[in-house]
This record gives sequence, structure tokens and C-alpha cells, in this order.
Amino acid sequence: MKLNELIQPQEPRDLYLPTMATLRDIKPLNALETLYTVELPGGADLGHQPGQFVEVSLFGVGEAPFSISSSPTRKGTFELGIRKVGLLTEKLAALKPGDKLGIRGPFGHGIDVERFKGKDVLVVAGGIGLVPMRSLINFVLDRRDDFGRLIICYGSRSDEELLFTEEREAWKKDPGVDFHVTVDRGSPAWAGRTGVITTLIPGLELELGKTVCCVCGPPVMYRFVLLALKSRGLSDESIYMSLERRMKCGVGKCGHCQINHSYVCQDGPVYHYPDLKSLEEAL
Amino acid sequence: MAAKPRVAIFDFTGCEGCELNQLNFENQLLDMLGHVDIVEWREAMDDRPGEYDIAFVEGSLSTPDCIKRINEIRRRAKVLVAVGACAVQGGINSMKNTRPIEEVREEVYGKDKYLFPTLPALPLSSVVKVDVNVRGCPMTQIEFLKVFTALVMGKQPVEPTSAVCVECKLKENECVYERGMICLGPVTRGGCDAQCPSVGQYCTGCRGLVPEPNLKAMEDILVTHGLSVNEAWKRLHLYNSHELEGLKS
Amino acid sequence: MDLKFLASDRVEALVSHLMHQKAVYAPQRMGRHSVALDKVTNPAAVVLDYSRTMQSVKKYFQPPRDELLKFDLTDQSFAAATVEPLDAVLLGIHSYDRAAIDRLDYNFSQGQPEKNYLKRREGVIWVGVSYEPDEFHFSGSVGIGPLETEGFDVFLSRVGGGYQVETVTEKGGEILAGFDLPQAEQGKPSPGHFHQHIFLPQARLNEVMAASYSSPVWEETAQKCVGCGSCNIVCPTCYCFNVEENVDIKVTGGTRERIWDGCMLREFTEVAGGEVFRGGLAERQRHRVLRKFKYLSDRTGHPWCVGCGRCTAYCTAGISIVSIVNRCVSDFEKHPTTAV
Ligand SMILES: Cc1cc2nc3c(=O)[nH]c(=O)nc-3n(C[C@H](O)[C@H](O)[C@H](O)COP(=O)(O)OP(=O)(O)OC[C@H]3O[C@@H](n4cnc5c(N)ncnc54)[C@H](O)[C@@H]3O)c2cc1C
Ligand code: SF4
Ligand code: SF4
Ligand code: SF4
Ligand code: SF4
Ligand code: FES
Repeated sequence: MKLNELIQPQEPRDLYLPTMATLRDIKPLNALETLYTVELPGGADLGHQPGQFVEVSLFGVGEAPFSISSSPTRKGTFELGIRKVGLLTEKLAALKPGDKLGIRGPFGHGIDVERFKGKDVLVVAGGIGLVPMRSLINFVLDRRDDFGRLIICYGSRSDEELLFTEEREAWKKDPGVDFHVTVDRGSPAWAGRTGVITTLIPGLELELGKTVCCVCGPPVMYRFVLLALKSRGLSDESIYMSLERRMKCGVGKCGHCQINHSYVCQDGPVYHYPDLKSLEEAL
Repeated sequence: MAAKPRVAIFDFTGCEGCELNQLNFENQLLDMLGHVDIVEWREAMDDRPGEYDIAFVEGSLSTPDCIKRINEIRRRAKVLVAVGACAVQGGINSMKNTRPIEEVREEVYGKDKYLFPTLPALPLSSVVKVDVNVRGCPMTQIEFLKVFTALVMGKQPVEPTSAVCVECKLKENECVYERGMICLGPVTRGGCDAQCPSVGQYCTGCRGLVPEPNLKAMEDILVTHGLSVNEAWKRLHLYNSHELEGLKS
Repeated sequence: MDLKFLASDRVEALVSHLMHQKAVYAPQRMGRHSVALDKVTNPAAVVLDYSRTMQSVKKYFQPPRDELLKFDLTDQSFAAATVEPLDAVLLGIHSYDRAAIDRLDYNFSQGQPEKNYLKRREGVIWVGVSYEPDEFHFSGSVGIGPLETEGFDVFLSRVGGGYQVETVTEKGGEILAGFDLPQAEQGKPSPGHFHQHIFLPQARLNEVMAASYSSPVWEETAQKCVGCGSCNIVCPTCYCFNVEENVDIKVTGGTRERIWDGCMLREFTEVAGGEVFRGGLAERQRHRVLRKFKYLSDRTGHPWCVGCGRCTAYCTAGISIVSIVNRCVSDFEKHPTTAV
């Protein structure tokens, strides 16, 4: 087939123009991370799936991708949890309520929550990976009857870097949530568990055929978590992973996010694990 | 924007090519000055002490006194910017690093050499932490202005890192290798808009090496073109001897 | 088929005829030996007999620096960049470069169609010209012959004393209307003889390239490569870009621009914190070559390399994409089972 026959003619669009949104609230999560509450003009609904991301920009500074941290069930505003690491993120941290920021999106392939219905949901989140996973967690909590058990494994480098203190307390108390947390190195004040995140997995109560698992964390984490999950007998089909790559456009044009033939901004960031097996560069 | 940033300018051993360059672009200079308070500018004002948000420093370090001064500047500056090849890579001055220091002192100071203790000409970064580099010999106005506006906005300027060749290709220049010249472009950082090859000259590597340079491949290029590796290495040392020493160890 | 004859000494007159109707862009002398595409102001400057231009027509539809928007820092407002159709005659284009545009069209139309590129693409009249392959062309191996008229409105095939003129589309007929040309004689234009070949039919290349994933060829190539990215920058089917903010010196406003980028450059996959997802030159070279011969052809059935030879001709280190692919082919023939 000729190349032009592979394309359905559609009206070309302005893909790179942001919508100017308003920052409604900004509060520190810890020394490095900040939670931003953002409102689109007129309180418009962002219309996202858990696991999707937006491109956030400040004029004269830059644009970068950030996962949406709030659940689509909570309307009116949406939330981003952002770590201060460079140009844009430092400038974002200096914003005040009422300031404007550019938003494009939501982009990418998120979590197909429909396919999780009736299942036990296991979330494995390392570090800042909790930011996107929180969207799924709160979605499940808000639609409690649609899902089975909710199991959360959360690992962090240190207790000072743990995110979402209040919510974690609530999850811990919630009888419908099986919440586990560990830190690599605990401060003297830390009374909880220490050890890497994979040490949480052997002890979990899992009902194999009924469990779906979603993993998100730093690049080094995936291979080890995967081994741990498989040794518990979880099937490849029950595992989903959210990956991070450098991104510029978010719409499949700039080429930056490619893993072999796959564009993370289109086919991901959330991948079904069986689809990742043909991507040698993925894990 | 909060209070205007306080800016200071200092120079060490260098050719002053950069400093003159800086003073040359009057129109933009006025726009620039609207955004800052200049606290020290040797050519424009007397030396006067003060604390500064941004210190622009030119030239390389070649005497113990220089080292004392740069440490002092670092202590008092929030952002330290190295301006020009001498400050960034040790520059032409650092050529003497590859010759016995006594010989250089003899040549430069003649019989007075014992009055002037000199060190190998060091880039600022070998003594203090440098936050931003403005590369080139001399640095270009465009780039200086870019760095300047970024700093005024309070953000870290982005340094170009890809090779000069990319800029040549964008300008559709004929490669000077085809004319039998040695060109250091393949391992030299761009950002100069391939200034030299665009006028039929070879690149002398004034902007420093690209990150992770493949010098072995560079050698192969020279050999395939029947050019002298020795001569190329000599030229590469002109602006990069400090960095090359670092790569060796 | 109605073929006319354009004598060499009437090329200038044809260019003038075209210039009366639309702006004309065509190859013109640039350096001592080089030819570059540029807007024509002097019809006599047009060169139709050339091997290749360093940059292809891509530069008109996806300029190396392309403004996306203008912003105002005083009130945080912005305006979209104005993008105008090129609306011109592109004259003297080789078949592989026209084929490259089909590929860029695909990229910018699939998924979310992009206005910036597609708007500029409007109103173009393509006038192709045949060429004699030099030591770098290998378009024949990817199914694009020097006489291929696909995508052109008018095509000029070199014959003794001038060109056979074929009107391919109605638009082509319209632009030529009023320019009298005699009927062409029956002589056949030269189909072109290639000096470079990929030693395997296109249809089997995907399979070979899949098997090449862990081949030593990538590391061996990396030894000779300086990682300059020139091969990306000159490729007519490379479209990757980065986005930059430019602030004016008064710090009151500026522009957001996209600039060409390339997968051979180290920063291409670098993220905050310093992680580089394709850190080695071997991995980057593999990605570049597989993008041309596997990743995109798996999706579309078409190789993303059009055999122009630019990446080889302009690589200072002399790295040849044909040699890399042929090496993969011969390795495959020896050990067809190393597929991953
Ligand atoms: C799908 C996705 C979701 C993400 N979600 C979050 C999140 O919820 N919270 C969070 O803190 N971070 C998230 N990140 C990472 C975030 O994009 C980077 O931290 C951010 O780009 C750093 O920008 P900077 O300008 O501050 O850093 P600099 O280092 O100054 O970055 C300069 C440029 O490099 C690129 N870049 C650098 N790092 C990354 C990166 N990790 N990913 C993509 N591009 C990068 C960007 O284009 C950026 O503009 C996400 C990344 C992706 C791909
Ligand atoms: S002239 Fe120098 S910089 Fe330009 S392409 Fe050739 S080697 Fe590279
Ligand atoms: S081409 Fe080379 S020598 Fe010339 S200005 Fe650029 S980096 Fe310096
Ligand atoms: S042009 Fe040649 S040397 Fe440069 S990155 Fe490409 S293959 Fe390597
Ligand atoms: S890969 Fe090389 S030969 Fe193929 S289209 Fe690109 S530049 Fe031309
Ligand atoms: S981010 Fe540009 S292609 Fe995916």
C-alpha cells in the first residue's frame, strides 16, 4: 500500500499551543517535591485516564511532561506532583497561586481501568512513581465497588522523601487497602520497614488469577520488581508498567521518546508487559 | 521581577579580545544594563568591592595571586560565569602547559622571570566551581546575550554540546577536509554557527571538546584523509591542553 | 504518453516561464563543487545536472529553526506562529527526495496531523529531474529509480541535448501551458546505473535487520564514529526535533522554536538526573539504521531510507549505511538464526 493510503485524511491541528491554566494551590510534599493544583479555563474537565501525562510549560523557560496525579473522578481541578531537578521544575516551584502555566494534553496511553474492573489491584510504586499511581489508587478508592482488593507497595530512598503523608495515613487505616511501605535508608526517627521495594513482594497475600499489577518507578527498579512478581507466580498478562523517557512533543512527532519502534508518548507511558517484551531497549 | 541582579566583571590573563567584544555592542548593552546594576567593571569603572549575583570572569589563571582572587570572587558571587576560551578551557594560555614551565617563563619575562611566579595557565574550573560557560575565542555577542538574558531570568543557560559539523551541515558548507585541510570540527563543540568553515577556514577547536569525544575516530579521519595526526593534535592542544591532560589521566 | 522535448539551451526560458506563475526553488551553485536548493532570482543560475544537494527540500516544510509561538512575558499571553503555504514550484528535484517527502507527510499526518508542516506543504508543484547515480546513490535498492515520476507534476528525463518532458498531472499541464515545446523523439532516457547496492531485496530486509540487533557491526561502527550527528542532519527522512525558548534581550517576550535534532547525539535521550537511555554510540547507530530499515517499515511496509547517499557522502568518518546493511545481510546469510 502506498504511504498516503495508510493515512486517513484529517484536518491538521495546532499541536503545540498550550491552554493557559491557573495555578490554584501549591504545597510542598517534601524538600524536593511539590504538589500543584491546576485549573483549566472555566474549570473545564481535563478528561484524563490514570497514567496519562500533560506537557507543562512556562514561557521563556521550557516545557516538560508530568504525570497527572489526581484521579479523573475528582473534577474541577487536577494535580501534579513535581520534583525539582532542573530549569523548568525550579521555576515551577517558585510559582504562586493565581499564576498562569501552559498545559497541553492529556497525552499518552494510560491505564485501561475498564480492564481492571472486578480485579484485585496491586500497585508497586518506587519514589516519585507514586505520583502517577496515586491517580489509579484514588480512582479505585472512589469506585470501590468496581474493584476487588487494593494492595499498595511503596518504596522510597529515605523516610524524608516519602510523599503524600496524609493520604498514606488514610490508606494505612482503610480496611479495604493493604498498604506496605519501605525505605532504603531510614533516619533515626523511622520506625517502619527498611529495605528495597522488592522485599515487600514475597510477603503479599495475592489471589493469582484475580490480580492485576501496575508498576512505576525509577529505571533501575523494573527488572528487579518484575523478577519478584514473577516468582510470586503473577502472569505476564497481569502486569502493566509505566515507563519514562525524554519527551518533547508528547504527540508522536519529535522522536525523542522512542524505545525501538514504540513511541512512549503514544503507545505508553503505560505498557502491558507482554507488549514490552519485543522492545529490547525498554527495561 | 525582584531587585535588579548585581553584576560584576573581572579579567585575568587573557588577550582582552573578549572584554573588548563585550563593550562593543552598544545598543543591546543599553537594553541589558536596564536589567542589572553593574558593580565592578574594570574597563568601565574602578575596582570597588561588593557582593554580586552574577560575576563574569575572563581569562585564565596563571599566578598564585590569580588563584587568591578567583577564590575571593567565587566566595562573593552567587553565579560565576567563565567568559571566553581562556577562562573556560585554560585557553591559548594553557599551551604552555605542554612545555617546561621554566622555558615559558624565560620567553615571556626574559631575565625578570624570577620576579613573576607563574603557574600553568589554568581554566577557572580547575580552581573554583564554574556555574556557566560562555565559550569561544573570542566569545560571540549573540551567545553572551543569550546567557545574559537567561541569567537575568534566573535560569541556567543551556550550553550547546553537539559538534561544529552539525552547524556546517545546516549551512550546507563544503567540508574543508575535501580541500585537504585538517578541521577539528568533528570533536569540537558547536554554538558558533560554524564560523570558521563557513568562510573556508578550518575549525581550530576554540570552543572546547564535545562531551565524550571519540579521539580515536578523529585520528582515523585524519589518517583516511592522508593528513598529519601530529599536526592535528598540536592544534587541538592550542585550546584544549588542559582538557586533554584530564582525558589522559 | 505525451512527451515533449526541452533543449538544454531552453531551460532558462522554462525557469522564467515558471517564475511568472509562482516562486521557484531550484538547485543552484553554492560552493566550489556544491549545489544547494534556493529560491531562484536568476533563471540562468539553475543547475539541473547535479548529484545531490546537502540539504533536501525538507528544509522548506520543516525548517531547521521553526517558530511555534510568540509569547509575551508581561501578561503571559501568546500567539501562534504564522505558517504560510510554500505555494511554489520545486524544480529539479530527484525522485528519492520526492519519496522522502511522502515519508515526512506520513509522519506529520498520522496520529495527530500537524498544521505547521502540512500547511507549508500546500500549493507545491513538483518538477522532477532524472540524475546519473554517483558513487553514493543506492535508491535503486529501495525501489526508487532515477526515472520514477511518482509524486511529481512534471518530470524531466535527461536525453541527448536536453530533457524529455513528461506532464504527469493536470496541475503539471497547467503550469506548462503557454510554454511551447516540440514533440520529443522516441529516444529512451538512461535508466541510470547504480554503483552501490544493498544485496537483498527490500521485502526481506526487516527480517535481516531484526536479526542484526546484537551484531558486532554496531560496536565496530561506533569505533569509527565521532557521534557528530551529521548523518541525521542531512537525511531527508529524519524529522526529530527539540524545542527551545528564546527570550529577547529586553526580557519582555520571545519565541518558542523547534530545531532539528538527531538520534546520534548523546543528549537526545538524556533526562534530568543525567540518565541517558542510549548512552553508547553503538546503540545510537543501531537505532538510526533500524529506524531507516526496520522500525518504520514494520509499521508501513516502506523503508525510511530513500537511498540518497547523503549520510555516507557527508560523514567525515566515511561511515557507509550501505556497508552496514550489507554486513548485516551477509551475517544473516551465515547465521540466519540469531534473530532476537
Ligand atoms: C511521561 C512522563 C511523566 C513524568 N511525570 C513526572 C512527574 O509526575 N513528576 C516529576 O517530577 N517528573 C515527571 N517526569 C519527569 C519530568 O519530565 C522531568 O523531571 C522534567 O522534564 C525535568 O525538567 P527540567 O526542565 O526541570 O529539567 P532539565 O534537566 O533542565 O531538563 C531540560 C529538558 O530536558 C527534558 N527532560 C529532562 N528530563 C526529562 C525526563 N525525565 N523526562 C522527559 N524529558 C526530560 C525536558 O525536555 C526538559 O525540558 C515525567 C516524565 C515523563 C516522560
Ligand atoms: S568543515 Fe569541519 S566542522 Fe565543517 S563539516 Fe567539515 S569537519 Fe565538520
Ligand atoms: S569553527 Fe571552531 S575555531 Fe571557529 S569559532 Fe567555531 S569552534 Fe571556534
Ligand atoms: S556523520 Fe558519521 S561520524 Fe557523524 S554521527 Fe553520523 S556516522 Fe557518526
Ligand atoms: S539514511 Fe542516508 S541514504 Fe538513507 S535517506 Fe537518510 S541520508 Fe539518505
Ligand atoms: S515525545 Fe515527541 S515523539 Fe514522543
